[in-house]
Amino acid sequence: MSQSVKQQNIRPQWQADLYVYFRSKSFVIQVVLFVLVIVASVWSLMVGAVSIPVQVTINTLFDLDGDQQKYIILRSRLPRVVLALMTGGALAISGAVIQAIIRNPLASPKIIGVNSGAALFACLMIILLPDIPASYLPLAACAGGILAALIIFFATFGRNLSGVHLALVGIAVGFICESGVDYILVALPTHELATPLVWLTGSFWGRSWTHVYAVWLPLCTMAAVGLTMAYRLDILHLGAETATGLGLNVQVQRLILLLIATLLASISVGVAGVLGFVGLMAPHIARRLVGGNHRLVLPASALVGMLLVVLADGAGRAIFPPIEISAGILTAIFGAPFFIYIMLTSSQE
Amino acid sequence: MRHLSLKYITLVVAMCASALLSLSIGPRQDVFLSDLLSAFATDELSINQSIIFDLRLPRTFVAILVGANLGLAGMILQAITRNPLASPSILGINQGAALGMTLGLVFPSIILLNLDFMAILGALIAGALTFSFANSAKNGFNSLRLILAGIAVGAFSYAMVRFTFILDDDLAREVIGWTSGNISASNWQDVKPLIVWTLLGIISSYLLAHKFNLLALGEAASQGLGANPKLIQFMGAVIAATLTAITVAVAGPVMFIGLVIPHFCRRFFGQDHRLLLPATMLAGALLMSLADIVAKLINFPYETPTGIICALIGAPYFLYQSLTVKGAKL
Repeated sequence: MSQSVKQQNIRPQWQADLYVYFRSKSFVIQVVLFVLVIVASVWSLMVGAVSIPVQVTINTLFDLDGDQQKYIILRSRLPRVVLALMTGGALAISGAVIQAIIRNPLASPKIIGVNSGAALFACLMIILLPDIPASYLPLAACAGGILAALIIFFATFGRNLSGVHLALVGIAVGFICESGVDYILVALPTHELATPLVWLTGSFWGRSWTHVYAVWLPLCTMAAVGLTMAYRLDILHLGAETATGLGLNVQVQRLILLLIATLLASISVGVAGVLGFVGLMAPHIARRLVGGNHRLVLPASALVGMLLVVLADGAGRAIFPPIEISAGILTAIFGAPFFIYIMLTSSQE
Repeated sequence: MRHLSLKYITLVVAMCASALLSLSIGPRQDVFLSDLLSAFATDELSINQSIIFDLRLPRTFVAILVGANLGLAGMILQAITRNPLASPSILGINQGAALGMTLGLVFPSIILLNLDFMAILGALIAGALTFSFANSAKNGFNSLRLILAGIAVGAFSYAMVRFTFILDDDLAREVIGWTSGNISASNWQDVKPLIVWTLLGIISSYLLAHKFNLLALGEAASQGLGANPKLIQFMGAVIAATLTAITVAVAGPVMFIGLVIPHFCRRFFGQDHRLLLPATMLAGALLMSLADIVAKLINFPYETPTGIICALIGAPYFLYQSLTVKGAKL
């Protein structure tokens, strides 16, 4: 009798986990974030040189009866918004992973020099091989990002350096790459200056579906792999010795995770330019919202990253139409004070 | 002591040689140093004499003075923070000056006094922000905090500078050319204020040089020896920011000279700031005029901004320095 009652109550563990999760505060927060991302995306489709009413936007998106604005929304703004969502999510996941590996709240793809390396190689490609279509830019950017990461890895290899040193070396590599970018910019004839310059400030200007097709598969794959490895980040976060004690091959896992983070950041730099501070801000905001568990932090920071970049892109178009302000400029203007705030509040070891 | 004077003489000779070399290099290859000498003898300048007297001479002067100022500013910043990685560009002071200058160009109505003063104001504010963010009550200036705060302040200032690009295309072109550290268009009008400010900088930092030596012993020890560490740090920061700002106003943000030169000099001239001071100025001038020669030759007959040459030299040095910096300094 009692046994049958027990059997009724026992559910598989995953069901129980899911049940607990659906009733938790973090689930509600994720849903709210998701809704916010949708709302922000629709808003971003509406604003710009030609502002489009919300009814028309929705008509166009879902092909309903009534007024539509197919050309502007489907050809020009929708690819931008999709790209903003993907790059924002990618940068945020990359930042969260790097912060967990280096165990420093101030780490981010920009600080460890990956962004600048990717920018340098993308610039080189624009200069040296001007005939190659722009959809190859992410490849060049990846090569640069990985090279920067490798330099940092080998420069610190075997020296038993702390996270602080790692950050310093990353900053130095970033400086080298940035001076290279500056050299290329100035060595250019003036009329070719505009393209790389707009691109460097982190802009979605003139992005089309070709760009989306070029990056969606690698970005989504990497993001998925990163999300499934979240629990290893929790273990790594306990420290190298504890993680080894729990049966994790720390060096290999670190390398894999760093590779994923580098690729995510480089690809998004390759397609959208340098969007500073997104990789820093998003994980912090996410951690404030859902706590320190990386299985929750990674998706939450991806959502926050999407929200930030879509808002920056939309606001860039909405502030002074028809002039556009690059999304990267806005993220830097809001991100730098945030960075300092994090620096002042994070406890020093 | 004889050893030391030998080093100084070597520096002076090297600096003069590179300055003369940079004077004799340029797109017009038929202009020689002899034209400069003859220019002093005649009332009416020929074209060749005019090229060397009105175009190349002020440019070389600007290079020398900018290098000297930045070397000095870097030395002062490293002295007051007791941190080998401090320098104007890394602490965001360069970028702050650029922002002040750009704001002055974009909104002529807010200019106080003149553009130079706007640059100084921007540099002072940026420096004050960086220092106040980095200075924790517990353990003074922490290397990484200092650099990260500088990067954040610098990134913010640069984002604002870029923001102004969208307002006006012609202005954007002007600002881009200027932010890359280009001194090719210098004239005598640029040299005069630079000389005045440089002299002021030399005098005031010489007065403080002994206090910097005391500060090197640590804040508590220097207080015991009768110095006021907070006051020295404040005055040093003001001098360094002013020197940086005045170079930014003339030549744009030139990176890394302020980082590389003091290290280089400390290796050869020791830790005494009274001896270091002239050495850093001479070595800074030497490096900058060498960079100017490279800038003229690397893409001959086109010019490359000198600031970028400095960055290409200085950034790898920063990497080297960040790899070798002692753990105790962090």
